[in-house]
Amino acid sequence: MLTVSLNEVYSETYKALRSVGIEWGLAKDCANLSRWLVNHDYYFLGSVLKTADLYKEKKLSTSIKENNLNKPLTSALMGLLLVEYVSANKIIWKGYLHSPKFLLASMGLIAQEQNISLVLKNSKNSIIAYTNNQKLYVDTNIFNNLTGYFFMETYEFNNNCNPLSLVQNQRLEVSKINKKCWDRLSSMAFETYVPESEASKSGAGY
Amino acid sequence: MKQNYKKNQQINRCPMRQPSKVMKLERLGSFHQSRLSFTRQLINELKSNKTQFEISKWDIDNNGFGNAVIKTIFNNSIFSLVVFCHSINDEERSDRVIAEKWDMTFSLFKGVPSNIELDKMSKNLKIQELGRHLSKQLTLSRANKSVRIFRKVLDALSNGKQPSKLDINNIGYLVRTTAVYGNGKFGIGDFSFDSSKSVLNKPFQAEMLTVYLIRYFSIELINFLAEKKGGKKSVKLSNKISRHLGVGNATGLGMAPFLINHQELIHKWINTRETAISRVLSIKSINKNTQKQILNYIEQAYRYTSQWNVDDLIQANRIKNLNLDLKDIINCDELLNLLNKDYPLKSLNDYFKNKICMETEEILHSIFIEPFPDIIDDLTNQMGSVEKKSVVVGYNVKEIIEIIKENYKWALSIDVNSSDENYFFWYTSQAKLEPRIGVTNKDDGYEKQLPFDISHQVQKALKILIKLPKKMTASEAMINHPEIRNIVRRIIINKTSPYSEIQDNLVGKQMRPIDLLRCKLSFFGASKYDPKSDLWTRITLFQGAPLPHQLQEESSCDWLFPYLSDA
Repeated sequence: MLTVSLNEVYSETYKALRSVGIEWGLAKDCANLSRWLVNHDYYFLGSVLKTADLYKEKKLSTSIKENNLNKPLTSALMGLLLVEYVSANKIIWKGYLHSPKFLLASMGLIAQEQNISLVLKNSKNSIIAYTNNQKLYVDTNIFNNLTGYFFMETYEFNNNCNPLSLVQNQRLEVSKINKKCWDRLSSMAFETYVPESEASKSGAGY
Repeated sequence: MKQNYKKNQQINRCPMRQPSKVMKLERLGSFHQSRLSFTRQLINELKSNKTQFEISKWDIDNNGFGNAVIKTIFNNSIFSLVVFCHSINDEERSDRVIAEKWDMTFSLFKGVPSNIELDKMSKNLKIQELGRHLSKQLTLSRANKSVRIFRKVLDALSNGKQPSKLDINNIGYLVRTTAVYGNGKFGIGDFSFDSSKSVLNKPFQAEMLTVYLIRYFSIELINFLAEKKGGKKSVKLSNKISRHLGVGNATGLGMAPFLINHQELIHKWINTRETAISRVLSIKSINKNTQKQILNYIEQAYRYTSQWNVDDLIQANRIKNLNLDLKDIINCDELLNLLNKDYPLKSLNDYFKNKICMETEEILHSIFIEPFPDIIDDLTNQMGSVEKKSVVVGYNVKEIIEIIKENYKWALSIDVNSSDENYFFWYTSQAKLEPRIGVTNKDDGYEKQLPFDISHQVQKALKILIKLPKKMTASEAMINHPEIRNIVRRIIINKTSPYSEIQDNLVGKQMRPIDLLRCKLSFFGASKYDPKSDLWTRITLFQGAPLPHQLQEESSCDWLFPYLSDA
């Protein structure tokens, strides 16, 4: 196991996703969501690596309309955009999601920053998670992070909502992660760097 | 009698300057240190908290090698500077960030390190970026002795003499750092901005405390070595000379992207500075004592610029003009009359603004805000920021286009197809993962460029946006066109944080990266900028700052322009 900081989680994820050609804005979103997940004691690294692999293989959708079980919408890359879109347009979104924990992170972030109330349900119409008063609540008995069909919408909070578990910051210290996976993420990030040259030396105090 | 300047301000009398005026590279590159600078904030905090300093470990041998720990008790929290001094050959000593050996390596540690933690640090600190560091470490740094002065000072002190003031002033420091890393780099602890915390909560305070303690260590070290070398005939550095010694720093492109990547934070810094300027220009009258202070600071600025010597021709010329302007202001017959008028600082500003260069305009702003802690210092609490990760919802396409047309006129006016406007590209170098710039069609790495071509991105986004329904939400526009998410996020931030965008083409041929460095360094509180090219500069931090034992003296916080008499 390796100990890394939140800043390293953010910066290595950001760069690693850029190395497979993901747009700057989406890579940044995913890096922020990864940091949120780490900060709330969720695993992130395996999902980010899987997302990068599937993205390269074109097995993930970035379309909120065109997605299915075989090509689900990537919530690691599109999760934050999706919650913003649902919040702004006040619509019910439904579709297939890959790695939905990134959507939970997105809901948590937008609740905290913009105090928007959202609810996420599974295909059986059971509430998996909702946000209220800047906090995220999750039903840990139902939520399993598997690819599946989901519904998300904004809602007016009332006291009839099922009391789910509050997701809180676990810690602000470092995270212990799998070294082999981290090395892979770092090697992907390394691909975004440019080899040393005479030109690059000029900014280094020569 | 002390005047209450809070009541004396006519709110909104002098509106803040527009971003279109302030956020130009040339102006940002003319900023000077001020009482808002982070070094100044740290000294104020150290003083007000009656911070205690203690050398809790001094395991340094007669050659200056070994380990030391300096403990600071700061508002009931303990921070320790852990120091390791190493033996290196002269040819291994380099300003380059890509160097691999240093005379000294440092870390600011939260609490007091145990022997096990010290042992871990002894193995990892000396290799800096290649090591894995502890989360209790808040910073990571290294420094080299100034070969130009360290031995000279040691020889003088060990022979019972004070060093030459001319040498001290020309160099300004005994050691020079080449990097001070913070905020989670290489495994060290993350910075978490939390306005409810009072210790080292403001931006870059952990880094500044590190540098301040390095300065303290460098003076203790030279005194220790002089005594070991000279025995009874040796003397310690005088307080006056010690106080004029800061810590040198060689700074390159590594810090430039910070200004581009942290829009909300940069807005806060500039907004704070502009608010401060607006507040003091809105003061209706000032008493004789404050007039005297203003005149003194102008004199001090003149003396400071007289001792600011650099080899770089562009900066030397700017300093010369600045120095001449200050002399003209001092000799101006109207000066006292201006200070006796209503809105005296505005009058002075207006009288000179077309007669002086940009460097002088900005140094006057540093001077104007200096005597008014009662209406300025509260602003320092607004310089930190928790940056939003989500994009604020509620904007539609029409509104985004309006923001572009209003706030990004500068970007729309750039001919993005011209080769001169695509002259540079920014990238991250494999060597120490530092940002660099390359020349398009000449240097390798263009395909891996960083997204700093803001004007180009704005124009591309506008072309997409104008084809979309005006009432479509910005969120829907971005979800359908993820390629514009990065720039639309910037545009929305700029709507509420108007000082968040540098209004020049950062990949254009006219761009001088040194301006970006200088802007950031002015907020750090750097003095004596000494550019070595357009790409890197040497500076001095904490020159003129009180030493730990001087912190409680009455005038300890009065060190805007370092100056050494008889130098």
